[in-house]
Amino acid sequence: MEFDFAYLTAQWPALMRGLWLTVQVSALSIVLSILVGVLGAAVRVLQVPVLDKLVVGYVEFIRNTPLLAQLFFIFYGLPGLGLRLSLFWSGVLCLTLWAGAYQIENVRGGLETVGKGLREAAFSLGLSPWRFFRLVAAPMAIRVGLPSMLNTSISLLKNSSYLQAIGLAELTYVAIDRISMDFRTIEMFAAICVIYLLLVLTLSFLASRLEYRLNAPFRL
Amino acid sequence: MSAAPLISLRGIAKRFGTHQALHGIDLDVEAGSVVVLIGPSGSGKSTLIRCINGLVRPDEGMLHVAGSPVDIHHERAWQRMRTEVGMVFQDYALFPHLTVLRNMTITPERRRGIPRAKAEEEARALLTRVGLAHKALDYPSALSGGQQQRVAIVRALAMRPKAILFDEPTSALDPETIGSVLDVMKDLAREGTTMVVVTHEMGFAREVADRVVFMAEGRIVEEGPPDALFGAPRHERTRAFLSSIRSFGEAVHG
Ligand SMILES: Nc1ncnc2c1ncn2[C@@H]1O[C@H](COP(=O)(O)OP(=O)(O)O)[C@@H](O)[C@H]1O
Ligand SMILES: [Mg+2]
Repeated sequence: MEFDFAYLTAQWPALMRGLWLTVQVSALSIVLSILVGVLGAAVRVLQVPVLDKLVVGYVEFIRNTPLLAQLFFIFYGLPGLGLRLSLFWSGVLCLTLWAGAYQIENVRGGLETVGKGLREAAFSLGLSPWRFFRLVAAPMAIRVGLPSMLNTSISLLKNSSYLQAIGLAELTYVAIDRISMDFRTIEMFAAICVIYLLLVLTLSFLASRLEYRLNAPFRL
Repeated sequence: MSAAPLISLRGIAKRFGTHQALHGIDLDVEAGSVVVLIGPSGSGKSTLIRCINGLVRPDEGMLHVAGSPVDIHHERAWQRMRTEVGMVFQDYALFPHLTVLRNMTITPERRRGIPRAKAEEEARALLTRVGLAHKALDYPSALSGGQQQRVAIVRALAMRPKAILFDEPTSALDPETIGSVLDVMKDLAREGTTMVVVTHEMGFAREVADRVVFMAEGRIVEEGPPDALFGAPRHERTRAFLSSIRSFGEAVHG
C-alpha cells in the first residue's frame, strides 16, 4: 500500500475543521493558563494566607496525577457535582488547569530573579505589594520565565490531542475517526504530525518575537 | 525649639533574631536640614534609616512625620507615609523594564493621581536639572552608575516628598562619577530639602550637613555640627572611627 496523497486531499476539509478546533481550544487555554500562572504565583509570593496553601495543593495535585484522569474527572465527574460543561469548555478547563499549575511554577521561577532591591524601591515610592507585583515584578518575571512558559504552552498544545478521549472533534479526533472508517493509518498520522509540528513552530516563532520585544529594555 | 521636627524618632528599637540591631534610638530631623549618619559597618545605620520609612519595621518606639504619628504596626500607615518620604539606595534600584521617564512617572501617576502628561512634564524638568534630559527615553541599562543614581534621586523627588533618605548613595559608584551624584545632593541641600544621609563621604558631610550623627553597635554615640564632631570628637569610639577612615582615605588618595 503506497502513500496516498489524493486521499489526504479529499480529507483536507475535515482535517482543517479539526485543526481549527485544536487552535481555538489551545489558544484560549494558553492565555487562561498564563493568567492562572500569574495569579497563582502572586498568591504564593505575596503569601496570601490560606490561598497560598490551596495553590500549593493544586499544583501538587496536577503535577502528580495523569492528565487523562484529570480530563475524565472534569468531563464525567463534574456533572455529578452539578457542574455541566460543554465538550469545548470541558477541554478548555482541563488544559487550563493542567498547564496553569506549571505556569505558576514558571512565573514563580521568574519572580525569584526580581531582587529584593526593586521590591524595596517600589515600596519606598509608596506602591502597595499588589501594585509592585503588577507593575514591576510580573512584567519582569514573564520576560525571564518566557522560555519555560513557552515549553508549557507547547506541551499544552500537544496535550490537546488527549481531548479526543472525551469526543471533542479536534485534530487527533478527526484523524482517528477517519482511520476507523478508511484504515489509512499512515497517511492520517503523518498528516497530523506534520500539522502539530507546524503549530509548535508557529508558537515558538510568536514567542521569540515576544521575547525580542520584552528584551528591548535590556539590549544596549 | 520653635517648630516641631519634620521627622522625630523616640525609643526606636529593632532586633533581628537574638541580635539587637538598634537600642532605643532618639533622633530629630528639622525641616530643611541635612543629617548625616556615620559609623562602622554593622553599626545599624541602614537599619535605622529603613526604620524611618518602614522597610524595616521597628519593634518598638514612636515615629512622627510632619507632626503625625505613624502606627508602626500597620502596613497601611507605612504605605501612606512612604509617599511623603523618598529613599535612594546604594544600588539605584531603577525598574529595568521601564524607560527613565516611566521610572519617574509611574508612581506619581498611580499613587498621587497626577495625569500622565503633567507627570511627564515634571519628570523632564527634573531630568534637565540633573543634566539627563537626553536620557529620558533610554532604559536604565544604557546609563552609567552615576547617571542611574541621579535618575533614582529625581525619581524620589518626583513624588514631591517632604524628606529624602539616602543609604550610601555613592558606595557602588566609580570614583569618577561620585562627584556628579554628590553635586546633585549638595544642590538639593542648598535648596532646603530635608535629607537623612548615610555616607562615608566626609567631605560631603563637612560641606552640607547641619548635624552629623555617629553610631556604633546600634546606639547613637554622639552627634553635633560637623565642625564639632570632626574637629573635637568627645568620645573615644568616635575618635577611633574617624582616624580609621582618615587613614583609609589617605591610603586611597595617597
Ligand atoms: N534583615 C536582617 N536580618 C538579620 N540581621 C540583620 C538584617 N539587617 C541587618 N542585620 C544586622 O543588623 C546589624 C546592623 O546592620 P546594618 O543596619 O545593615 O548596619 P550598617 O548599615 O551600619 O552597616 C548588623 O549586625 C547586621 O548583620
Ligand atoms: Mg548599611
